[in-house]
Amino acid sequence: MADTEDVGSSSVSEPLDLVRLSLDEIVFVKLRGDRELKGRLHAYDSHCNLVLGDVEETIYVVEDDENDQEIIRTIKKQEEMLFVRGDSVVLISPQA
Amino acid sequence: MLFFSFFKTLTNQVVTIELKNDIRIRGTLKSVDQYLNIKLDDIDVLDLDKYPHLSSVKNMFIRGSVVRYVVLPRSEVDVGLLEDATRREAANQAGKAR
Amino acid sequence: MENGASSEGKDPSAFLGEIIGAPVTVKLNSGVVYKGELQSVDGYMNIALEKSQEYVSGQLTRSYGDAFIRGNNVLYIAAN
Repeated sequence: MADTEDVGSSSVSEPLDLVRLSLDEIVFVKLRGDRELKGRLHAYDSHCNLVLGDVEETIYVVEDDENDQEIIRTIKKQEEMLFVRGDSVVLISPQA
Repeated sequence: MLFFSFFKTLTNQVVTIELKNDIRIRGTLKSVDQYLNIKLDDIDVLDLDKYPHLSSVKNMFIRGSVVRYVVLPRSEVDVGLLEDATRREAANQAGKAR
Repeated sequence: MENGASSEGKDPSAFLGEIIGAPVTVKLNSGVVYKGELQSVDGYMNIALEKSQEYVSGQLTRSYGDAFIRGNNVLYIAAN
């Protein structure tokens, strides 16, 4: 196959290019286990290992209230600098 | 190799590791390998009341695959350097997953 | 052999190449569904979607301008 590739630094030809273009930008990250992160992307690799700065973590926990109704409680945590192991990552989206 | 090199620059710094089973352990990062297995010294387990079985443990070797997060000392991270290294790594990896 | 998509008889990733730019549905192992325009796919089934919407048990939960989905979570990719 004649595969004329344009692997210029600004091209979007493979999915990880979307992540590359989000470097030093705020990203939203969805993780396994009903967790989400929002923070500035400082590093990533092909496994989706990440380093995020000024991160807010949101955890969603299902609980029963006094009437045995299921309610979703959200827990928020802040971290200044966080490494995230890639195998927990589901989705990464640049925040416009 | 990017994060292996990155963690090597953080040896002897105090970090907090959150495992996938929610246990959080603070300790001094003594060493790291290519799988991002980590050796921690002088550890403290946060929420010890929840995990009392770790109260007497002083050092541990943590398998990389059970790590969810590593909370890093911000002052020890040069974000400009990290972003440059990430761009270099991305250029090396480009097209490999095709 | 005369009916069906033009990818018939080729390998499955040829199908993915043909639907780049098209509206697709991506279902994850968790059951979450994403609908959007397929920007690109790689050999790990990592996916980039444009103008996508997230559905949890049929309910619209979020919209993304761009979204990268890590391939290991993908159950299927369907052309709409």
